[in-house]
Amino acid sequence: MPLFPNVALQVSTDTGYLLYMIFFVGLFVFQFAFGTRLQVYFALNDIGRGLSKLKVMKEKSRKEAIDYLVNVGKAPGDPAQRVDQFLDYVTIMPVNTDPQGIINKIDHIVTTNNDRVRAEVTALVAQNNPVTVSISENLLEVATALNMIHKVVRHYYILGKKTNSYFTLIQLQMLMPMIIQESDALLNAVDSFKVGQPVGDGIGCVSVSKFMVGKEKRAIAKDTVMAIAEYKGRKLYVVKADGPMAYVGQPGVAIKKVIEEMGVKPSAIIMIDAALKLEGEKTGEIAEGVGAAIGGIGVEKFQIEEVATRNKVPLYAILVKESILEAITVMRKEIAEASEKVVQTLQRVIEEKTKEGDDVIVAGIGNTLGVAQ
Amino acid sequence: MMSSVPATDKKSKLLVYSIEECPVCGQKTKRAFVVGDYITKDGSKCTKCGNQTRVSLVYAESSKPSG
Repeated sequence: MPLFPNVALQVSTDTGYLLYMIFFVGLFVFQFAFGTRLQVYFALNDIGRGLSKLKVMKEKSRKEAIDYLVNVGKAPGDPAQRVDQFLDYVTIMPVNTDPQGIINKIDHIVTTNNDRVRAEVTALVAQNNPVTVSISENLLEVATALNMIHKVVRHYYILGKKTNSYFTLIQLQMLMPMIIQESDALLNAVDSFKVGQPVGDGIGCVSVSKFMVGKEKRAIAKDTVMAIAEYKGRKLYVVKADGPMAYVGQPGVAIKKVIEEMGVKPSAIIMIDAALKLEGEKTGEIAEGVGAAIGGIGVEKFQIEEVATRNKVPLYAILVKESILEAITVMRKEIAEASEKVVQTLQRVIEEKTKEGDDVIVAGIGNTLGVAQ
Repeated sequence: MMSSVPATDKKSKLLVYSIEECPVCGQKTKRAFVVGDYITKDGSKCTKCGNQTRVSLVYAESSKPSG
């Protein structure tokens, strides 16, 4: 038995304690001095991987658009150069420091841009089939969107790298999953567009087309048609984009014309559209509400709200819930089958909110690709 | 460190169908989507009553059972 049994143990414990302290102090100093750099390094790697994915998506969408123009549109010669010019074309939004009348300015610029796109695509494709032209427009819009997303992400990536800006890179890193998800949805949309399959966003058009089949249709606004139907003594003015082309039409202009030019005094305007669901909500669920159910840049929504307010016409909305991916890719079964429920809901709303002899405007909103009337 | 860039999802393949519906007897027939199909397009003759059917829906279904 040793004379001083605790000595060796004491020495050993002190050394251990010392090493322990050195380790933690060292870790603290390292974290203090290099922690941010380490995180910047990881963020750069992470964003770099995402950027490579975005580049692949951008190139794939461009190639798909060119292939479609050549194979289906029978474009004479190689359209690649024109497509590249198209992808870099910019739309400059009006100044908003004086917002008075800005909607009309936006409308003017957007209309000019849409007309330009239509003219460019019509010049690119040899055949004058409106379905082919509209699909080409949509494919080029997808390619333009992916091109722009890639450019913006690359800009902030390089800027963050150059300036070693921790906060720029961390914000971009946090946004990357959402950016990749939306870009992926856009790329998936290409497959549906190419073959003219209805997309989830077209559920409003699918629902109202049931009221238009066999009725006389008339063009009421650019790419928009209207038919008059009858339901339980009410006269329905049914409006949708002209299908089966990949159009969204001008429902705002159409509703305004029905009320102000045709002199119709509707008791209600009922709009049917797809709505983005929140995580946890079921695809194909139907929600009812009031207000103008229409997305986009806001021009059409403004026009509808304005004409409804001026004429004191109540606005009702029927919405079908879906995700962004489901909205721009081929229509899922749950969404398509919701059209029956939408029609039942629409009939109930008409019965509850109007009476026999009334006029009602029913508008199916969305991209009407693959949905005629 | 966990990556914030999602890995490519292993998506189940979507099969696209056209539903032909007879406006007279209501019989529905499900067939594979063919390029050129669109909703309200005339379909084949109804196997039950012989009337002209119409494409009433076009939708995609997962090839794998969900869940």
